[in-house]
Amino acid sequence: MRLEEAVEFAENPEPRCPCVLLLDTSASMQGVPIEALNDGLMTFRNDLIRDELAKKRVEVAIISFDNQVKIVQDFVTADQFEPPVLTAQGQTFMGTAISQALDLIAARKSEYRNNGITYYRPWVFMITDGEPQGEADRVTEQAARRIQEEELKKQVAFFAVGVEGANLDRLAQIVQRTPLKLKGLDFREMFIWLSASMQTVSHSKIDEQVALPPPGWGTV
Amino acid sequence: MNSIGFWQVISASVTGKSHEKQNIPCQDAQGYKRLSDHQLIFAVADGAGSSKLSDLGANLAVKMALITLEEKITMGVQDADILPWQDYLKAALTAAKTAIEAEAVTQETEIRELATTLILGIATPELVAVAQVGDGAIVVEDKTGNILELTIPTSGEYLNETVFLIAPNAIETAQINLWKGQPKYLAAFSDGLQMLALKMPEGKPHHPFFSPLFKFVESITDETDAKKQLMGFLRSPRVTERTDDDLTLILASFNS
Repeated sequence: MRLEEAVEFAENPEPRCPCVLLLDTSASMQGVPIEALNDGLMTFRNDLIRDELAKKRVEVAIISFDNQVKIVQDFVTADQFEPPVLTAQGQTFMGTAISQALDLIAARKSEYRNNGITYYRPWVFMITDGEPQGEADRVTEQAARRIQEEELKKQVAFFAVGVEGANLDRLAQIVQRTPLKLKGLDFREMFIWLSASMQTVSHSKIDEQVALPPPGWGTV
Repeated sequence: MNSIGFWQVISASVTGKSHEKQNIPCQDAQGYKRLSDHQLIFAVADGAGSSKLSDLGANLAVKMALITLEEKITMGVQDADILPWQDYLKAALTAAKTAIEAEAVTQETEIRELATTLILGIATPELVAVAQVGDGAIVVEDKTGNILELTIPTSGEYLNETVFLIAPNAIETAQINLWKGQPKYLAAFSDGLQMLALKMPEGKPHHPFFSPLFKFVESITDETDAKKQLMGFLRSPRVTERTDDDLTLILASFNS
């Protein structure tokens, strides 16, 4: 008997590895920064789909925030992901956007559970060149409290990256993990790192703490 | 215990592709021993991927668990029906954990560097008693062809979290199960095979996975050749396309 031919496998849905990109599209991002960000998104996708497991397991969603908070892309697996072309205008409704990202994740998790899909801890990756602007302080405070609470319960891993001009001290008050500062507009390197990190996570089995590749694109 | 017969057993561990890529050793370990024609003890351990010495932890856990089980069983009273199996299993888990704690001191390292899961069991023609900390599973087929799970993978909310033997309450919360049926076949495996062998997230055995493997172990005539075949299966592209983790499988058949 040839075991390779005789044994059949259970058809389980691929486990999912959700990642929300929370992107600042306020007026200050106009011009070169937003173009670099758009290019970076393309790099992110191209890098993810090179990995056989990651392209089926990593799910990407994009929320942009300026005066409006928009779900530009609801969760799709990397192989289905078509990067949008973002434009920049208006103020920075960051707190509102954070709450929306956390809501989106909670809803996705319950969808996973209803469909018997196993999953990894979701990531939010927030990129901004400023600080909350144009929304009530309590909205931002509430968002910061939620991040704190959900990080503590390991419901999410929330990262913040500041582009030139970002108020890193203010960001540090909002997120739990130390915000990173992007070197110049090297979104490309950052997204390659993010893709590599998501690949590592999507391949991991039992490690609670996944060792991530060190970022070469940012500084603390 | 009047059944005439013996346990036919085969086991294998192979290094996963992801471990090969990163030059990490196989962190799975397994072992078994036939204490008599009727009594089989077995263990599987899966060292934590992020721990530096978890291959050592896994090997140590398997070794200590088997030694302890054997001691308890061979020193016990004769009538196997009334042996305190659950106590024996807990004693074996405790011995494995203690050995890991001692090894961490010897190695002058943090105990989490030796983190591992542990599955172990005793099988006789009348019963199978099992204990498990962490993921992986044990599956049996009885004489009437029912395939059922004796343990299921223990994990947290997320796929990449599980419970390790070194956790403070690992032994208190271990899955312990005494199944009083007549086993025909048995399989124990680490989490690398979980998604292929079980319908998740419930952890129900996928029959077309186990049936051919059970027939295979039953019909072994040449153990060296059979081991080669089993390793070949675990390394075949059909398997490695779907999982890149270390893989361990113990198969047993009570042949009478």
